[in-house]
Amino acid sequence: MSKLVGVLAFLTLTLPFLAHSFSPDHPTDRRVLVLLDDLAVKSSHSLFFKSLQSRGFELDFKLADDPKISLQRYGLYSYDALILFSPSVDRFGGSIDLAAILDFVDSGHDLIIAADTHASDLIRQIAVECGVDFDEDPAAMVIDHTSYAVSDTEGDHTVIASDDFIKSDVILGSEKIEAPVLFQGIGHTVNSENSLVLKVLSASPSAYSSNPKSKLSNPPSLTGSAISLVSVVQARNNARVLISGSLSLFSDRFFRSKMQKAGSSKKHEKSANEQFLTELSKWVFHERGHLKAVNVKHQRVGEADEPAIYRINDDLEYSVEIYEWRGQRWEPYVADDLQVQFYMMSPYVLKTLSTDQKGRYFTEFRVPDVYGVFQFKVEYKRLGYTSLSLSKQIPVRPFRHNEYERFIPAAYPYYGAAFSMMTGFFVFTAVHLYNK
Amino acid sequence: MGKASSSSTAQDALALFDSFRSAYSATPTTLKIIDLYIGFAVSTALIQVVYMALVGSFPFNSFLSGVLSCVGTAVLAVCLRIQVNKENKEFKDLAPERAFADFVLCNVVLHLVIMNFLG
Repeated sequence: MSKLVGVLAFLTLTLPFLAHSFSPDHPTDRRVLVLLDDLAVKSSHSLFFKSLQSRGFELDFKLADDPKISLQRYGLYSYDALILFSPSVDRFGGSIDLAAILDFVDSGHDLIIAADTHASDLIRQIAVECGVDFDEDPAAMVIDHTSYAVSDTEGDHTVIASDDFIKSDVILGSEKIEAPVLFQGIGHTVNSENSLVLKVLSASPSAYSSNPKSKLSNPPSLTGSAISLVSVVQARNNARVLISGSLSLFSDRFFRSKMQKAGSSKKHEKSANEQFLTELSKWVFHERGHLKAVNVKHQRVGEADEPAIYRINDDLEYSVEIYEWRGQRWEPYVADDLQVQFYMMSPYVLKTLSTDQKGRYFTEFRVPDVYGVFQFKVEYKRLGYTSLSLSKQIPVRPFRHNEYERFIPAAYPYYGAAFSMMTGFFVFTAVHLYNK
Repeated sequence: MGKASSSSTAQDALALFDSFRSAYSATPTTLKIIDLYIGFAVSTALIQVVYMALVGSFPFNSFLSGVLSCVGTAVLAVCLRIQVNKENKEFKDLAPERAFADFVLCNVVLHLVIMNFLG
């Protein structure tokens, strides 16, 4: 009996640590579920998986229709991220369905989706929920007759060499991507009103999406750089989703192939797929661009403790420390555009914080001459970084009755006038009565 | 033409002033004292407004109470003057003692408020 109790106690203590979404407290030890159509993908895409494993991810390969798979156990997620390399699956096995995957993302977990030609409706639906629409024609592929990858046989130009990357060091790493990326698959569009979706790799202006095997009778519905090949989503809860229209983008064949872009004489020893996907997966799995704010402090100038209330016109200091997760450790985040607001319905004070380059941001300002319930607000949203939204409520009171300045020299004439009116009143009273 | 009209205007003003002075000399001394008192209050108020324009409105509450004490005093004195004026038939039933008592009471209230507001 006591043994059983011990086991139960052990389980209840350890279960919370078994799985979690990316959290600032436990950024390491992350388990990833990989769902495949065919276990052969495990070896044909081994370079991508190896790069993840070498960075400390525990990959759990399962067939997408395995009846035993589930994301949750006893209400807790067993995985921190999900990779869907199963473009043709119509129904997942086990308890996973569209709603389960959306809940998984809604609770802050990361997701990588690779679609392909003939992608199933289920995969398309998941993409639609993330704000991405794949070409509706199931046989369509992205074709580009000017920036395709040169090969020995004159193909149908569906293997395209794209180098139209998003300009963001935080998403794609600071190292410049020299070679183009090889891509073979379907294109998608992103809703321009959805600010959470970003096109990471766009097609060239000469690309279009259509069935390569049939003759082009109607103008293609998707054309030019409106076609996105790879997109990412950063949800409001900072969950990150990578959506690619090609599974072969991740394959060893594309990782290792020598390539030459049509119209360019430069031959590349290998395509940029490996660099591109390694850097992008670092971003998706929060190894870059994840900010945390700690030690939010404010106090009157010259005091050490945080007051419960400020008085109007107090001088105060505000400071916050911001760190970025760099895969192994938290490193100071350095920027010069972080601002704090002293906010009540609208910002009364808006100040750019100075930094000591070691992660600490600080400023001083004077409480405005208005009392009420204010907030210290830091709203920091930058491309590729998780959004920081700090707010701390603080009341501001007016002067107490005995805190006002008395006997101001500039006011002596007014005092004199008031008293001379009183004296005048007495004198007048006396004269008026005497005169009767 | 212009010269003639301006000299006639000056003469008119002079004549007006003379007639006013002769009429005013008939006014009872009590009312003259009240007028003097009103003049004192109003000029004090004007001095303060000029001072405020020069120095700035910083202790604004002090400025307000200083000016309002003068203005209030002047208004109350005008009220008293209307009520004690024998030629004013509207208040012929009201005893001047009663009017003076009202005046004193109002002044006490006024100066209490001013003292509180003076800062």
